[in-house]
Amino acid sequence: MITGVKEYIEEVRSGNLNVDDFAHEVVERSKTIQKKYSPFITLVEHPTSGNGRIKGLPISVKDSICTKGIMTTAGSKILDGYVPPFDATSVSNAKRDGGMVIGKTAMDEFGFGTFSTNCAYSIPRNPHDTSRSCGGSSGGAACLTAAADFPHIAIAQSTGGSITAPAAFTGTVGITPTYGRVSRYGLIDYSNSMDKIGTIGKTVYDAALLLSSLSGYDRLDSTSAEIASEDFTAFGSIKGLRVGIPKEYFSEGVDKRVAKEVRSGIERLESLGASCEEVSLPMTDYGIASYYITAISEASTNLARYCGLRYGMQKEITGDFESYFSSIRSTGFGQEAKRRIILGTYARMAGFRDAYYIKALRIRTKIINEFAAMFKKFDVLVAPSMPIIAPTFSEIEKLSPIKAYSMDILTVPPNMAGIPHVSVPIGKVDSMPVGMQIMAAHFKESDAIRVAAAVEGAR
Amino acid sequence: MAEHKIMIGIETHVQLNTKSKMFCSDRSEPGDAEPNSNTCPVCLGFPGSKPRINRKAVEYGILIGIALNCRINSNVFFSRKAYFYPDLSKNFQITQYEIPIAEEGYVQMGDDRIGITRVHVEEDPARLIYQNGDITSAESVLIDYNRAGVPLAEIVTEPDFKSPKQVRNFLERLSSVLEYLGVYDPAREMSLRVDANISMDGGERVEIKNITGFESVEKALNYEIVRQSGMRRMAATVQRETRHFNAELKTTSALRKKEYEEDYGYIFDPDLPMVTLSEAHVSSIKAKMPELPEQRAERLSKEYGMDISRACVIVYNGKPMADFFETSVKLYNNPDGISNWIVNYLMKSLNWRGERISNSKVRPNTFVELVEMVDKNEITERYAKELVKSYVDTGTSPRKLAEGEKVVLTEKDIVKIVSDIIVNNKKASDELKAGKKEAMQFLIGEALKQTKRQANPNEIREILTKLIGKST
Repeated sequence: MITGVKEYIEEVRSGNLNVDDFAHEVVERSKTIQKKYSPFITLVEHPTSGNGRIKGLPISVKDSICTKGIMTTAGSKILDGYVPPFDATSVSNAKRDGGMVIGKTAMDEFGFGTFSTNCAYSIPRNPHDTSRSCGGSSGGAACLTAAADFPHIAIAQSTGGSITAPAAFTGTVGITPTYGRVSRYGLIDYSNSMDKIGTIGKTVYDAALLLSSLSGYDRLDSTSAEIASEDFTAFGSIKGLRVGIPKEYFSEGVDKRVAKEVRSGIERLESLGASCEEVSLPMTDYGIASYYITAISEASTNLARYCGLRYGMQKEITGDFESYFSSIRSTGFGQEAKRRIILGTYARMAGFRDAYYIKALRIRTKIINEFAAMFKKFDVLVAPSMPIIAPTFSEIEKLSPIKAYSMDILTVPPNMAGIPHVSVPIGKVDSMPVGMQIMAAHFKESDAIRVAAAVEGAR
Repeated sequence: MAEHKIMIGIETHVQLNTKSKMFCSDRSEPGDAEPNSNTCPVCLGFPGSKPRINRKAVEYGILIGIALNCRINSNVFFSRKAYFYPDLSKNFQITQYEIPIAEEGYVQMGDDRIGITRVHVEEDPARLIYQNGDITSAESVLIDYNRAGVPLAEIVTEPDFKSPKQVRNFLERLSSVLEYLGVYDPAREMSLRVDANISMDGGERVEIKNITGFESVEKALNYEIVRQSGMRRMAATVQRETRHFNAELKTTSALRKKEYEEDYGYIFDPDLPMVTLSEAHVSSIKAKMPELPEQRAERLSKEYGMDISRACVIVYNGKPMADFFETSVKLYNNPDGISNWIVNYLMKSLNWRGERISNSKVRPNTFVELVEMVDKNEITERYAKELVKSYVDTGTSPRKLAEGEKVVLTEKDIVKIVSDIIVNNKKASDELKAGKKEAMQFLIGEALKQTKRQANPNEIREILTKLIGKST
């Protein structure tokens, strides 16, 4: 069976391959993968596809993205059984080009996590070592991408690193585009001002190919940018490219072995003709605090709607409205969701709002400005994707929430700034993949992608 | 009642009459559509749905701001006001908090200036239908999301009102301004709702929520004044609380205590971009500004030589009435007569039937027949006053109505009747000639009887004087 996306598309185009027979085989293989690594929340029994440039190509969709007629839970019991009446714009764009939705992938509840362990459904296991996490929150998407023995690309989503973390931990390629590049219509909100839909693929080509389908202006999302999609697979040379290396991204908290792999990747870039220079992004230290305050403030309002009235979990209505929705929310939300709702509500309450919520917004502006200044001098910034390799589940259990949050230190700044960034495999430590992240200026996805392609090609 | 220092401020919520809802493309006025049929994932708050700003509603907000002498902000934001309530599909309301469309305006009411704190736009929550009771007693509640997402303008005043009556006058002024702006349909049910805050003698502030009808607002506030002064007499402390007005009992009752300012945990709505209201945009809206009631009253007064108070009565009755007046004057050029008949008789008949001119059977072309017939003495004023009622009832041409009754006396007919009376009442006629005033009264009485009161006493007196004078 063909496993590469490029070859598959050519076979379908030339008429050598029957898409329906192929779909049947994909379902069977997906079931096997599900037994081994559990990347899915929902598997589609009879996937179908239309015509288009990626006709019949298996696409998985993170469960926070609405799919018409297919259960969508955002990884939460409170949405158990919810079948959306509409497709997210990203999903309908993929379908328009012929993409075949094969299932919904596992995630931390509403995206609240870095390891896909805050899951109401299955916890995906890392195909490189099943005692280890796939990363999160798009853990299922990365897990399936790494494990699939068939052509497949994942639609994933990132708020503060949920594409980069699992891509780095599973040795896959994750593209987080510019905020506004892909419509968020139909994405179940975590933190709307930072949520971005992107892709995870086995190769840079795969992830870039699907991103071209998903991108483009959508009037249904008021924050969607009026910028046409482009062919992100048209990689160019990186000769003469100016690369900045932010030193804060190699600080103490970063595993030295990981840093070393990334540094050797940077040497490869230099050998390909890029000019590299160490730079400083002093706002990096303030990223985690301001990210979490902003994210949970927004999340705590987004999650208010889940009260057991119109969709998702329902119970027999007894007592008044308050006791009813309290009962639904007590049982429907997991512990991390409750933690973020309570903290987020606190951060925006009168009396605390200026000290937390408003201050976090100000810091965010500073982070955006810091990046903007940097991109006047450099085309891309290159750093490790994650400070560590994929941790084991027992290591994760021992992490306090603060420690767990601190794992996002390298992914939070580009996510807050809404700049595009790509995580590409760069090497291995303890037989586990290490990712390098490449950040570019707003709407300069193509710059980050061609650097990733160059790194990939030089492996 | 002893003199109390009363401070009242109000928040008025007005449904804007845009075609679509505030943040989605559902129809804003579904009429009598089946409950919950005029909805979509956005106004139902479905996961993944996203709001889009209705530009027309923003424009209406700007119009209102300009009309109320406000400053229009150049960059405005939408925010989430978070609280759990069954009528809110998302358990937050998209409204404006930090920077609303308009701020710092005023409305001049005689010598008093009522400050306008702010004007902003937001979404209306769903409609709650209380089963077997009201908000304080219902067994269960049904939710109709057809109303969820209808654009509202919220107009907040400073606590500048000194009496409930003044609040009512203000609301009448405000609603006609909104109607003249064309942003509001007063015929729509529940289209204007008021929250009133009242404090007396520097005491705690009590809020009465969600009152509909100007008369109800006045009554609710009057009740509060009586209640609060009663409490003071008994040395009880008025507590800060939210109260509900029962329109049937005309009383207020406690809904909830407010120990502190309600905390809505406002954040900027991250789904909606900042809206820039450029100077050019605002001035293009200003240019489209229709004539406002105040200006129209002045113009009518000048143009038609009308007393300003009469012009105000016509204008503040609503735009359709003022339009009706001007159309009528074009058809029959007697502004004084027409305005007199409108203000003194037509409005009363309409009020009595609970109708507005716009949904009545009254039309300018038929209405002026009535005035014209009076002017030409084809009918008496007394009869005309009766005729107005059946005209408002039926909408039938007054000329036809008058014919149908066959009671129209011409001036000639009346002169004939009066001269017959003089002949037939020789004694009284002679006494009148001799200067006896009682005789005049008697003869007029006779004439009224015989003309079936179609002639008026003054008219008869004139004819009598003339005829008696001639005969001497």
